[in-house]
Amino acid sequence: MIWFVPLLPALVGGAIWASGGRATRRTLAAAGVAGVAGSLVLAIVAVAGRRTGAFGWGAGLELTVAAEGLSRVMAVLVPVIAAPVVAYAAFHEAEHGLARLTGLLTAFVGAMELLVLADDLLTLLIGWELVGLLSWALIGFEWREVRTVESAGQAFVPTRFGDLGLFLAAGAAFAGTGSLRFDALGRAGSTNLAVVAAGILLAAAAKSGQLPFSPWLFSAMAGPTPVSALLHSATMIAAGAYALARLEPMLSPVPWFGGTVLGIGLATALAGGVVALVQDHGKRVLAASTSAQYGLMFVAVGAGFPGAAGAHLVTQAFFKALLFLAVGVAMQAVGTGDIHRMHLGRALPAVAGAALVGSLALAAVPPLGAAWSKEAIVAAAAEDRLVLALAVAVAGLLSAAYATRLQLLAFGRDGASDPPSPAPTRVEVAAVAALAAGTVALSVLWIPGGADRVARITGGRVPEESLGLAATGIVAVVAGALLGRALARRDVAVPAVWADWLGIPVATKRLVVDPALAGARALAAFDGRVVDAGVRGAGRIGDWLGRALARRDRLTVDALVEAIGRGAFGLAGRSGRADDRVVDRSFDRLAVGVGAAGRLARRAQTGMAHHYLLVIAAGVVGVALLAAAWR
Amino acid sequence: MLTAVIFVPLAGAVAVLALRGLEGRRLRAVATAISAVPLVLLVVAWARFDLGRGGFQLVESARWIPSIGVGYKVGLDGLSLPLAALTALLFPVSIAYPVDDKGRLREYLAWFLFLEAVSLGVFLALDLFLFYVFFDLSLVGMYFLIGQWGHGEARRSALKFFIYTLTGTLLILLGIFGLYLAMSPRTFDMAEIIRQQPLAGNALRGGLVFLAFAIGFGIKTPVVPFHTWLPAAHVDAPGPASTILAGVLLKMGTYAFVRIVLSMVPEAFDRYAIWVGIVAVVSIVYGAFVSLGQTNLKRRIAYTSVNHMGYVILGIAAAAAVGRGSPSARQLALTGATVEMVAHGLITGALFLLAGSVWNRGEEYDLEAYGGLTSRAPAMAGTTILFAFASLGLPGLAGFVAEFQVFVGTFDVFPWLAGIGLLGILITAALFLQMLQKLFFGELPERWLTWPDLSRVELVGLVPLAALVVVIGVAPAWLLDVIDSASKGILAATRAALGR
Repeated sequence: MIWFVPLLPALVGGAIWASGGRATRRTLAAAGVAGVAGSLVLAIVAVAGRRTGAFGWGAGLELTVAAEGLSRVMAVLVPVIAAPVVAYAAFHEAEHGLARLTGLLTAFVGAMELLVLADDLLTLLIGWELVGLLSWALIGFEWREVRTVESAGQAFVPTRFGDLGLFLAAGAAFAGTGSLRFDALGRAGSTNLAVVAAGILLAAAAKSGQLPFSPWLFSAMAGPTPVSALLHSATMIAAGAYALARLEPMLSPVPWFGGTVLGIGLATALAGGVVALVQDHGKRVLAASTSAQYGLMFVAVGAGFPGAAGAHLVTQAFFKALLFLAVGVAMQAVGTGDIHRMHLGRALPAVAGAALVGSLALAAVPPLGAAWSKEAIVAAAAEDRLVLALAVAVAGLLSAAYATRLQLLAFGRDGASDPPSPAPTRVEVAAVAALAAGTVALSVLWIPGGADRVARITGGRVPEESLGLAATGIVAVVAGALLGRALARRDVAVPAVWADWLGIPVATKRLVVDPALAGARALAAFDGRVVDAGVRGAGRIGDWLGRALARRDRLTVDALVEAIGRGAFGLAGRSGRADDRVVDRSFDRLAVGVGAAGRLARRAQTGMAHHYLLVIAAGVVGVALLAAAWR
Repeated sequence: MLTAVIFVPLAGAVAVLALRGLEGRRLRAVATAISAVPLVLLVVAWARFDLGRGGFQLVESARWIPSIGVGYKVGLDGLSLPLAALTALLFPVSIAYPVDDKGRLREYLAWFLFLEAVSLGVFLALDLFLFYVFFDLSLVGMYFLIGQWGHGEARRSALKFFIYTLTGTLLILLGIFGLYLAMSPRTFDMAEIIRQQPLAGNALRGGLVFLAFAIGFGIKTPVVPFHTWLPAAHVDAPGPASTILAGVLLKMGTYAFVRIVLSMVPEAFDRYAIWVGIVAVVSIVYGAFVSLGQTNLKRRIAYTSVNHMGYVILGIAAAAAVGRGSPSARQLALTGATVEMVAHGLITGALFLLAGSVWNRGEEYDLEAYGGLTSRAPAMAGTTILFAFASLGLPGLAGFVAEFQVFVGTFDVFPWLAGIGLLGILITAALFLQMLQKLFFGELPERWLTWPDLSRVELVGLVPLAALVVVIGVAPAWLLDVIDSASKGILAATRAALGR
């Protein structure tokens, strides 16, 4: 049964796409949401019963799934977030290709469900790469635009580089334990376990947009807004942090693991915050913010508290999907992604109100659940070292700042009040409102005892709440909000590369992509000219030798050879290639294979069959000579 | 039954030439039907195949030249059965596939049937001499298909293919004689040679025979640096011939690496396994990079074959390194290598058919000349995308199953080689995405405004391949278990031969 959690939406998605362009928006939305909701129901049943499943692949390999620990949370979260996004997509996007978009989004839920339910590295890798494939198809949705398809490739290739890490991890796990099961990892020796940890960290960092892979999230912005909403909340990008949190107990014995994860996460959280703060494109602000928020989850995992990371994964999923959908409405209203040109608070009061909930959550203002999960990460960092907690607080300050700036510029109440035309549909507004309601509902985390409950549900450690740290966090939020307000009023001139991920994309292009492509072209030329030159040279020498030898003795055809040639290779004659030209009866003297080959080359346009037999005969003689010598 | 598998298409070749009354489509239909007979027989053989029994099954033999120990003997095991079945599937598809027959359809079909017979013979032969005869005759068939029905510098490319691979077969012949002369009593019987291990304990002779085989079969496979005949042959060959070249003929090289090199000179292979592995990794990375540098559609696909054959050889090399890694890891690598042979045959075979379709419509292989074809030919775009993703190793499709096993198995044996080889997976992703983008996405150039989508005949050929690629990708147990039974037996024999 548990297999249908991923299978159902995959099949429904395929059917939606196959149904083509005949369906109305309403039908598409209903079908997509039905597929996703069906998966949700099945997921709840699977989670409640802690179901497991296994599927033999042959040759001793087995795909396994289990509703366990954090995967129980994710299995439910994915369809909960996806349902409003799919409905929104069916009403928000252009009619053309809508069945494909809705179908792909629905199928995407299936791939992600497989990923989160995976109980071994092979199944994880399968889900992992399928999610990557569907992201490619969704980002490159507008395939008539070359730029869009290129962007999809720019998203796919870096994440596939990360996927190599999972291949490596699987190899090391198999070498160490003879199995690919997660729970067998404890048996892997220290070297193999270190490779597993490195591989999973590479894959996770690439998937979750951590440094230095962060820029692919910007490329992914070429896709439709609902795609971004889904990718950045509960799927695709979530996979990295999820996998780390799920496997942290097995990987933590590796000495460098925690510190490295923490370092990558913290660096991304800070850098992403800066990028988001200076970006002017609404979706890119959110994309940079996604890297930063997942950076915080990495910090929690690195500090040894995967439960805190899991909590933040959930709260982030709600408010990030919400903000993307809201910004999508705003972009449609003004026809641009530039947040300076929005100021839609009065024109779109309902959406702006919902966005405010999302922005407050992003800024980590209590009593929203996102504030609780961020405080938990501060506390987790403090358990490691106090200075780390301060650094996380600075990252929090940055989130508060760019959240404030985004809200004031995009949804500030200082613009015109005429509603845009066309106004957002009721379904779009409802989707945004539903996610806002979810964001608010997560405030239950603040009810005392939250840490224990989260630890129990996610199966991962959560740090004790600390009043002092919470106070520090609030101070940072207030400071950040003030900073954001100041920046919303007056832009500070910063170098343009800051907004484009601090120049990483340019550096990647110059240092990796361009040299690789140039190298490929150079190798292609090298292969044609140099590697093949030896062959051609040998051919020429053989040709010359053949001519020289042939000049020396011109004898007539060996009747036997020709007879065999006629008989066995009658087919050759049929092709019009048979040739009665006289073949020199010199094969017994031309026992050297090279000479024969040269003659073949010279007689390119003549009856191959005769020559062919000649060479065989020469070979036989050569072998006989060799055999004699061998004795 | 296996004798019929080989001789029905051979008789068919004669029949096609003799049936003067039939022309055009009906002639092609008859040829296709004949070529499908081996497939039916092999499906029956598959059903009768006994997984639990080691060694060769469905053996048929006859006296041939007993004075020198040559016999007619055919049979199959878990290694040859999938490859023979693949061959028997690719031939009907290729024969039925539309192509410019240059007004000589009859000869074209006859050569195809001849080639099918000898190709099946290669995989089913259990006598080294018989194997060699079939192996060599396959060159003749392919030579004429490329030279006569190719385009561009077809004759030149065909000749290069012929001479280059013929040089390889001469080395193979030397190797075979090296084995034969060490046997007592003298015989070419494969099972007997494997049982006797005539070169065990003789490092020099074993090494020389290994070297001859490794270069000879390395040319056929091909591995870098013996690969330059391949792109030339592919580019100028008609699409269906390319399909057979990539799908079937290359497999003869890799098949022989397992059937002959690994099984008959395991000691030497064990000693030099790391070097073979290094050559394989060079093929993987170099092949992928050179492919990325191509602007010609067919050259690009051709070089991915170099890359994919690298995976196969890497897996085989890992399996051969008896002293390293666990037996289960080496078995996984060998099974993966064999699955890769099948997967590559289906996937690259289909990609070459599609390249043939592109040529039939546009007479142009330059990728820069294309774009946006999806709007005119969604079915062509869809199938090409499917096979491209299969080739770059996407899960859910056949290539992934193979590559995953090869890399996971190899890691325990040669961790560094496996790690470096993984780069191939990344580069193939980049090169296929770029290829798809240049063909199918973006704006449609005006000259292709009337580009037709795949015809029904083309789809009938491609759909079974696509279905198999998906089935193997999702639920491969039926294939893996058959192959694994052979891997297990072969490696057990190898270990026994080395006394470990």
